Amino acid sequence: MKIRFGKLVSRLGPLLGLLILSALLAALSPDFLTVSNLMNILNQVSLNGLVAVGMTFVILTGGIDLSVGSILALTAALLAAMLKAGIPDFLAIPATILLGLALGMASGVAISIFRLQPFIVTMAFMTIYRGATFVFTQGRPITGLGNRRIFAALGRGELGGVPWSGLVFLAGIGITAFVLARTVYGKYVYAVGGNPEAARLSGLAVRKITASVYAVSGIFAALAGIVLTSRLDSAQPLAGNGYELDAIAAVVLGGTSLSGGKGFMLGTLIGAFIIGVLNNGLNLLEVSSFYQQIVKGGVILLAVLLDRRK
Amino acid sequence: MNLEMRGIHKSFGTIPVLKNMNLEVREGEIHALVGENGAGKSTLMRILGGVISKDAGEILVDGRPIEISKVRDAERAGISIIHQELSVLPNMTVAENIFLGMEPRTRLGLVDSKAMRRAAAETLGRLGLGLEPRVRAGDLGVGQLQLVEIAKALIRKARLIVMDEPTSALSERETKRLFEVMRALKAEGVSFVYISHRLEELFAICDRLTVLRDGEYVGSASIRELSLERVVAMMVGREIGDRFPVKTNRPGGVVLEVRDLGRGRDFKGISFSLRRGEILGVAGLMGAGRTELVRALFGAEPAERGNILLDGQEVRIRSPQEAMALGLALVTEERKVDGLFLPFGVDFNIGSASFPSLATLGVLSPGKLEAFAGKAAEALRVKTPSLASPAASLSGGNQQKVVLARWLAREPRVLVLDEPTRGVDVGAKREIYEIIDRLAARGVAVLMVSSELPEIIGMSDRVLVMRNGKNAGLLESGFTQEQIMSLATGV
Amino acid sequence: MKRILAALTAVLLCAALLAGCGRDAKASAKKIGLAISTLNNPFFVTLKDGASAKATELGYELVVTDAQDDPAKQAGQVDDLIQKKVAVILINPCNSDAAKTMVEKAAKAGIPVISVDRGVNGAEVLSHIASDNVAGGALAGQELLALVGEGAKVVELEGIPGASAAVDRGKGFNEAVVGKLNVVARQPADFNRDKGFTVMQNIIQANKDIRGVFAHNDEMALGAIKALEAAGLKDVIVIGFDAVDDAVAAVKAGNMKATVAQKPSLIGSMAVETAVAHIKGEAVQKQIPVPLELVK
Repeated sequence: MKIRFGKLVSRLGPLLGLLILSALLAALSPDFLTVSNLMNILNQVSLNGLVAVGMTFVILTGGIDLSVGSILALTAALLAAMLKAGIPDFLAIPATILLGLALGMASGVAISIFRLQPFIVTMAFMTIYRGATFVFTQGRPITGLGNRRIFAALGRGELGGVPWSGLVFLAGIGITAFVLARTVYGKYVYAVGGNPEAARLSGLAVRKITASVYAVSGIFAALAGIVLTSRLDSAQPLAGNGYELDAIAAVVLGGTSLSGGKGFMLGTLIGAFIIGVLNNGLNLLEVSSFYQQIVKGGVILLAVLLDRRK
Repeated sequence: MNLEMRGIHKSFGTIPVLKNMNLEVREGEIHALVGENGAGKSTLMRILGGVISKDAGEILVDGRPIEISKVRDAERAGISIIHQELSVLPNMTVAENIFLGMEPRTRLGLVDSKAMRRAAAETLGRLGLGLEPRVRAGDLGVGQLQLVEIAKALIRKARLIVMDEPTSALSERETKRLFEVMRALKAEGVSFVYISHRLEELFAICDRLTVLRDGEYVGSASIRELSLERVVAMMVGREIGDRFPVKTNRPGGVVLEVRDLGRGRDFKGISFSLRRGEILGVAGLMGAGRTELVRALFGAEPAERGNILLDGQEVRIRSPQEAMALGLALVTEERKVDGLFLPFGVDFNIGSASFPSLATLGVLSPGKLEAFAGKAAEALRVKTPSLASPAASLSGGNQQKVVLARWLAREPRVLVLDEPTRGVDVGAKREIYEIIDRLAARGVAVLMVSSELPEIIGMSDRVLVMRNGKNAGLLESGFTQEQIMSLATGV
Repeated sequence: MKRILAALTAVLLCAALLAGCGRDAKASAKKIGLAISTLNNPFFVTLKDGASAKATELGYELVVTDAQDDPAKQAGQVDDLIQKKVAVILINPCNSDAAKTMVEKAAKAGIPVISVDRGVNGAEVLSHIASDNVAGGALAGQELLALVGEGAKVVELEGIPGASAAVDRGKGFNEAVVGKLNVVARQPADFNRDKGFTVMQNIIQANKDIRGVFAHNDEMALGAIKALEAAGLKDVIVIGFDAVDDAVAAVKAGNMKATVAQKPSLIGSMAVETAVAHIKGEAVQKQIPVPLELVK
């Protein structure tokens, strides 16, 4: 009974926080609770949210992926170059996703084969990929991407008033939530995060699983890169700078533990929304951007404090 | 120190864990505190140590009531607790560990390392441990660390030392050494509270004992007035017959054969065969290479030399996956470290080695895991509030059954058990022995590593004794404790 | 229960903070949005202050957002300004290309956009208000040429690659000095003082005989001066750009030779004036150049 109640609170805590926050903002700003603003929030959340989905896999195994922002920039640049070269979007987009997978896999392999610290490895790849982006783009944005329907829709289009980027994000959440909860692979991700040695002695291919989560993270970073490139109709060499931290914040706000093995995907959805709603709400309330950062940091700190187990 | 704890009550939420508990320890006495897992021993000791507070009752030291509300209070009263999981910082020196938090200062307020080392060396000498205080604690063995912890207590002027399962990781020789130190300190008037699952030890070292059961005081007595059977009966609240079941297994043909197996300096030249339905005990001292050998068989850290034959066919085992594919299973020694997923549910823990068989195209069918785990848990009579309860919430015996259930559900041909009853209380031990016997009777070949000689003798058909990584002898039948010990120690 | 209470307290605390910072919603017709690229740079802070002062003077409320140089963040902030239904959006883009989709989105919502300091590529804005960076770069180039003499070795510290200010200032400078000065090193230091220092240090290792430095902004110029001082090269002539307070002080103290003064405060106030003129139905010019001057 006691355990159940605790579990319920820890699961509902983030959602409760989001609801209270939203109620508060709705009371303070007449612009907040409008359909168009909610769609606006969904659109804004989708970028960080997509990165956070991949990050959730990594954090569930007890790792961390700092390279996501750079993967986002590099895949975005390559996508933009492909589109500019006249490659149709229905080929360029899957190629970009595969590229994200490969870039993420590189850190995963380095971490699992050489048994290196995820923090250091992904930090190194963060720098490498950022450098590669600069080399590839010559430090300049890539523009003139032509007018491709699927590509344009992903960042700028809507389906019945709902932004496609948001739909991609929600679909990503839905699929990954199913994978984590109901597939063998999902159970393995939890097992590796919960106790890697016990997982290995249960016959799990721990190294492959470890490497794979970084590939998943790369895929979602690339998806975010695609959405961002479409949204700005250009690829920026500095795109995604610092996104790793927002993504980690969303995952942690959603109740996933940085020590691995504990957490769930719907939490990440809520975490991403808490950050998005906070950003949007503080802008609507015309809070100075300097204060915004303090508030954001404070909320993260509070969430972690509240999530601390006795 | 004369310590008296009277009428101690403690509840966690609405669940009472201690009800009217009493404990009296006299000056210069080694007092055993016994009870099954979950009986309330550690709660009582945590109250004494100031880690948690009692709801009611009083604590008297030398006849005067004292208030212990935090760890510092206990320390000041001269009470020191040495936990089963030692609190040594591996990267600090022995001297630094001993003086942690109360380092002597020079006039400038800097740590006076010289004085610290001198005092540390002196105290260690008092314990008969001629140890250089500048050695890194992480480089010491468990036995030496245990003594370092005692030195730490003595520096803090402890007059009552609580030792929780101090010998669980010690070799015979180290245990003897520890007992000598305890006896010497006892002669100086230091009192001990001694907690151990190894009941034989109590008769070797303790003066009196207090038994508790389900959070209640059962009784205290001088150890000389008691028999092992009587103590067990007090603990479980009923007389249990023999500690071991009557063996029903009948060994058949050879299943597994190991020839000249070796790896690095851990073990070498190990050869033996294991038959269908046989229980082969593996005995030896700590560090004799037993755990390393069985982990190599399972591919956890694969062997480098030698051959493994299964049904006469040579096989290669380079990973747990390969071992599992061949029908091997390993229940490890440190179930909390490398066996269980502590925060996860019982169902997850039982299913962890079988997920693919519960899924179609990688998707787990709803309810299948529950049914699978439920069946396995029921077969071993795992006591758990629900299948979703975290493994961490179970008692040691039930945790061990969960790990056993995980492997038995895979119906292994060769079951390797490393210390299957460590940290398991008496009642559950008997159940685990029965399970092992049933499996062997069904034809499973069992390889059982154990440091408890009664267990080896009571359960094994044959015994492999290891010493310094080598095969010290294979005893066929009619083996005795003395025989095994002499092979294990080489004396 | 304790957790829920703690959560409630936390949220109430936040609410108090928000209420303290937020102002009452006023009629949005009186609101003008200003999406700034970054407030980590004193130049844009001065620009914002100029804009705020003018807005207050004219009786309008200015809603300022800070994108911290992240175009994606700026896109979100522009969306938020659209939600607030401001009358005009003044945008100071993080990136001229990336701002295109934001302008299009505002246009869809019927909100006109005025670009400030940096232009918007690929989309129509109501007006573009900026200093003439090419002219400023040329101004600096001519001054440096006059001070170091023809054929001297000089260094160009560039801004963030691809940023329009960097492109334009570099263009003006190089057009003015091509064939007359020997530019031995041309490296980006991202408009940043720290980077200006390290990049300059590195350049000095290879070129001890340089005579002059042109930096695309004052931050980099001030960093470069520190690096030159550290290397004992006191006679090297440094010219910066933007005339921020530190730089003007350095010019007065004789550490920096000159800085091209854009007038950020004037840019800000002119942007607000233009927006107000549009709101009142007056016609506004497509390009409004803001004068530059050399501070020596």
